[in-house]
Amino acid sequence: MANLLLEVKELCVSYGDVRALLGVSLEVEEGSIVALVGSNGAGKSTLLKAVAGLLHPSGGQVLFMGLDLGNLNTKHRVDRGIVLVPEGRRLFQTLTVLENLRLGAYIPKARANYDESLERVFGLFPVLKERANGKAGLLSGGEQQMLAIGRAVMAHPRLVLIDEASLGLSPILTRTIFELIVALNQQGTTVLMVEQNIHMALKICSRAYVMKTGHIVLSGTGEELLANVDVRKAYVGERGSKL
Amino acid sequence: MTVLMQVVINGILLGSMYGIAAAGLSLIFGTMRIIFLAQGTMIVFFAYVTYWLFVKAGIDPYLCLLIVVPLAFLVGLGLFYSLFRKAVALEDRNVTLLLAVGLMYLVDNAMLKVWSATPRGVTISYSDAMIVVRGIRVPWLRLALLGLAFVSALVVFWFLKRTRVGTAVRAASEDIEATKIQGISAIWVCAISFAVGIGLAGVAGVGMATVFSFDYQFGFTFAIKALVALALGGIGNVFGALAGGLLLGIIENLAAYYWGIAWIEVASYGIFMLVLIFLPQGLFGRRALVKKV
Repeated sequence: MANLLLEVKELCVSYGDVRALLGVSLEVEEGSIVALVGSNGAGKSTLLKAVAGLLHPSGGQVLFMGLDLGNLNTKHRVDRGIVLVPEGRRLFQTLTVLENLRLGAYIPKARANYDESLERVFGLFPVLKERANGKAGLLSGGEQQMLAIGRAVMAHPRLVLIDEASLGLSPILTRTIFELIVALNQQGTTVLMVEQNIHMALKICSRAYVMKTGHIVLSGTGEELLANVDVRKAYVGERGSKL
Repeated sequence: MTVLMQVVINGILLGSMYGIAAAGLSLIFGTMRIIFLAQGTMIVFFAYVTYWLFVKAGIDPYLCLLIVVPLAFLVGLGLFYSLFRKAVALEDRNVTLLLAVGLMYLVDNAMLKVWSATPRGVTISYSDAMIVVRGIRVPWLRLALLGLAFVSALVVFWFLKRTRVGTAVRAASEDIEATKIQGISAIWVCAISFAVGIGLAGVAGVGMATVFSFDYQFGFTFAIKALVALALGGIGNVFGALAGGLLLGIIENLAAYYWGIAWIEVASYGIFMLVLIFLPQGLFGRRALVKKV
């Protein structure tokens, strides 16, 4: 078995009285793409936020490279190599593309690798190089998603958490973004992605987890889940499912 | 015509003080959404410090800048970490406003105790020096203050545009949560912008000491004037804040010239209300700010 990069064990998160995660466990191997799928409100984004240190769990553990992250704040998690591409991208719209990328490389380790990372981002997303001095807010939806991912790459991450990369994008653009995520992964970056576009996510991932109301209800390789009748019925457009 | 020119120029010179104060408020409001009502009080405090350095140590007020501005920066850091660090994390912005009001009255009254109610001012050998161009009289000190306002605005602009921390400050004023995601310490960014804002109060304090006769009560009025300038200039734009200050100075002097001194405040607050009602993003502000609401 390959190295485990991330291990989430029995993680619980509550928003006030509302319990969003009820003991979720999952594993991400180094170098893989893992997809987390499920319907709205299942707790997928909550899980990513908890791993990124934006939410504090009420129980359970997050282990990264074998070490318990405990209550480490986001900054320290970025230092260790966990970077989030947030839902809705959250770009700095009034700043230029290059300024957004520079802020992505804010931590000292990322700063030291700035030139190399920038070359990598411009290699993956050449359009960002053309638009480097334009305002981020003027980019198209697809370009904005590329910038959001590029900004995370600038932090020199080991694990990128991508929350709904396909949100608001056309199927063609979604395909492009997914191909870029695969390319990013092939360069050695591990990816944990939350995705509504389940069919495409299952095609590119090596392992997937299906979440429902705060639980993991199913897991397996992408092909296994694509072949699973319940998954097909529930999420890939066929009717009448138990999930 | 010469008289009118003189009135406008006097207004610009007065307005440069408002402009520096407003630029500081703008920075603090931009990142933390704090309406720092104690800004005027801080200016008066640094005016007293300048006065003291001049009276006790005989230091020229403009040399005082080298002491007062770094001091103001440190005071800003101290105030932020002691008073606002916890409060900025709260959803409820009223706490920060109340803290600012409390700080204002506390410092006002402490200054009354220390420096008494006697108006103070610094008179230097060149206090009365003037340049006269075609009958228009421009006091050197006020001109220097205008220059100081522009230099401060340029320095802050450079800081925001060219430095890494400055870029983070701009980013934080747009989306502070997103800066955290990049591994940026949001508290540090807030502390820096607060300190730069108070640093500007230091610059304005030196200006106030040299140009005005001031007392401990001056602060509140000044903070309100800075808010008016900020409303005129629009939030999130250093040069807008400066321009708003200059404009306010001109408006006040024109009102005094045409209608009499009693109308100064009526005119400035009247325009304040009109701008807030009809152009809430300010005359030079970003339109995007309106869309957000």
